[in-house]
Amino acid sequence: MRVVLADDSLLLREGVARLLEDAGLDVVAQAGDAEDLLRKVGAHKPDVAIVDVRMPPTHTDEGLRAAAEIQDRYPGVGVLVLSQYIEEGYAMELLSSNAEGVGYLLKDRVADLERFVDAVRRVGEGGSALDPEVVSRLLGRRRREDPLSELSPREREVLGLMAEGRSNHAIASQLVVTERAVEKHVTSIFNKLSLPPAQEDHRRVLAVLTYLRA
Amino acid sequence: MPGLRRALIALFVVGVLFAAVDVAIVLTSNHEHQKLVDAILGPLIGLSFIGTGVFAWWRRPLNRFGLLMTAVGFAWFAGALVNSDNAIVYTIGTYVGPLYLVLVVQLVLSFPSGRLETTTSRVIVAAAYIDAFVLTLPVFLFDGDLNGGSNAPDNAFVIAHARGFADVVNVLTSLIGFAIAAATAVVLLRKRRAATAPQRRAQAPMLWTGLTVIIALGLLFGGDAVGVPDEVLGVVALVGFVAFAILPYAFVAGLVRTRYSRAGAVGGLIERLNNPDSPVRLREALADALGDPTLQLVYWRESADQYVNYAGHRVDLPAPNSGPARRAVAEVERDGKRVGAIVYDAALRDDPSLVRAAAAAAALQLENERLEAELRARVEELQTSRARLVEVSMGERRRLERDLHDGAQQRLVALSLQLGLARRKLEDDPVIGGRLLDAARGELDRALEELRELARGIHPAILTDRGLGAALEALAQRAPLPVDLHEMPEDRLPAAVEAAAYFVVAESLTNVAKYSGAEHATVRVGRHDSFAVVEVSDDGVGGADPAAGTGLRGLADRLAALDGRLEVHSPPGGGTLIRANIPCPTCA
Repeated sequence: MRVVLADDSLLLREGVARLLEDAGLDVVAQAGDAEDLLRKVGAHKPDVAIVDVRMPPTHTDEGLRAAAEIQDRYPGVGVLVLSQYIEEGYAMELLSSNAEGVGYLLKDRVADLERFVDAVRRVGEGGSALDPEVVSRLLGRRRREDPLSELSPREREVLGLMAEGRSNHAIASQLVVTERAVEKHVTSIFNKLSLPPAQEDHRRVLAVLTYLRA
Repeated sequence: MPGLRRALIALFVVGVLFAAVDVAIVLTSNHEHQKLVDAILGPLIGLSFIGTGVFAWWRRPLNRFGLLMTAVGFAWFAGALVNSDNAIVYTIGTYVGPLYLVLVVQLVLSFPSGRLETTTSRVIVAAAYIDAFVLTLPVFLFDGDLNGGSNAPDNAFVIAHARGFADVVNVLTSLIGFAIAAATAVVLLRKRRAATAPQRRAQAPMLWTGLTVIIALGLLFGGDAVGVPDEVLGVVALVGFVAFAILPYAFVAGLVRTRYSRAGAVGGLIERLNNPDSPVRLREALADALGDPTLQLVYWRESADQYVNYAGHRVDLPAPNSGPARRAVAEVERDGKRVGAIVYDAALRDDPSLVRAAAAAAALQLENERLEAELRARVEELQTSRARLVEVSMGERRRLERDLHDGAQQRLVALSLQLGLARRKLEDDPVIGGRLLDAARGELDRALEELRELARGIHPAILTDRGLGAALEALAQRAPLPVDLHEMPEDRLPAAVEAAAYFVVAESLTNVAKYSGAEHATVRVGRHDSFAVVEVSDDGVGGADPAAGTGLRGLADRLAALDGRLEVHSPPGGGTLIRANIPCPTCA
């Protein structure tokens, strides 16, 4: 799997690059700012671009804008945005129209090598990866009439993992249950929330997120 | 006041009737030897007092001086009963005879307000009444000398004959009368010394005439007690009598002089204010012109809806006639707009036209001084709010320092410790080593989490990145209760305005969640005439007090630094509405 990495901190960039290469991924290029990133993505057409939100020159949200542009110009390139802080709004912006090959994670997550690499692979393969923190915020939002309160604790867990972008298989191994059991939970959740059933993972993510966001 | 006018005319008519009775008694008297003089002078003097008294009463209904003048006139007529040939009427006339003198003492002591304003003068007047009507009783009851002359009727009050005792009492009352007159003279002279130049000029005729009456009275009492020959006392009595007779005219002369001097004072005021070479504080000029050194000027601050003094400090107007020093208030307007008020001694109120004239003359300069006072008030407000802002930001720095040391730094120290331990265990007990590493990872996660929250509290990145609307949306989503957002601005506002608005909402929502027990809250951001108006309302218990907590005060200070204003409407049980008006020139 081929990766382009963009972060203005050289130390962090090199660290992440080493991590990814140790895990068997191929870091084909590194960039220090958004412009550089777009150029290198255009040149290398990687499977996934990992982008820091804050980059020169303004250190605000260049990374997000660059991510949107990559999604727009290179539909085949997955984009995983790393952020120092959590804004549900930013995650929703990224995933608003399309949950294929999109991810939004707290930067801290790079410390958990296995899960980080898993997320990178998912995005690179056209799936999605949403930070658990974003998901728990979305689930924790106060609603006036909350159908989420009808879900069982286990169903809530499954819903959260679905929103993160995990497949049934991944959910099953995380919760130590059979895939069959996960499927049953998913059907029940979709019924309780009156959502149309969706088979593909990325459509399912979108439906869940749209629901949580409303 | 037509009712008052009719009553006063009636009073004067009664006075004329009394005068007629007086003349009749004098002319038919057996023991009065100067009938013609008495029949002419008596009514003339009595009616002079009643006439001037009624006039003064009519012109200044609130001043009791006219009442006193009138009373002297009637007392004078009552004293004339002494000319009666009927023993009872004669004795009563003799008994009430000194009343007009006591009233004269009261009159001169209470000039010009008609009120006895010092304790000393009240004591003197009380002593005079007691001396004249209580101490003299034994003289009547024990057949004392009534000075009635030959042919006078008998004393009708006699219950026993003790002429010797009665004479002693007589001398005693005379001595007390002398003391009272002397004390009165001293008080009058002191009062004159304390008066301002214009007051002195206005009071001179009344003062000198009154003083002559009092001194003559004192000499008569004293002379009578020590037995001065009648010829000498006769001359003194004549002088005193003449002075007494012209007392009402002296009063009128004083009025005329006052009027002239006050009209002149307003003229002088205008002249002083218009003289560019000698700038004078308006208050001093007005105090001089109105002869009221206690006069205060207050200025209207429209922006704060309150009166302030020259230094710009808030002043509450006194309630009319309140307090030991009675104050009156005249509001000053210019071009139909309130600019200030004159707070003055209520004694001046008997001439309201004077205060109005002075206020009109002063309006322009009052407006100028009002602007200065407004400026001072604003500078002071800015200084205090800046000082509080510095304090708030120092407090925030201390809190940050504490949070960093107690939070993230502690966790990092623990983390370093755990990593050291894990390093040692890694070889001989990999299981324990692995657990230590997991714990270290957890510690690290929490440290990062705390740092993120800290950073968001200082300044949320989304506010800089995406502006107020997005930041408030994020804030609303994190709030522990449902929050409706209305009228969010779509384009960017100046950074300072956005930050101020954001923190108003953040602090308000925190308060809503903590204290209000509200079911839900609403946030509105509107624009009105180059102001960004932020409103946070809830359906909670209300009763929020901006003065009580540091949160709302801190907000008010942040806003004041931007020239903005915080309003809190929080009736108990009626929810809370917090509205911040933030100046935003580009919002118009």
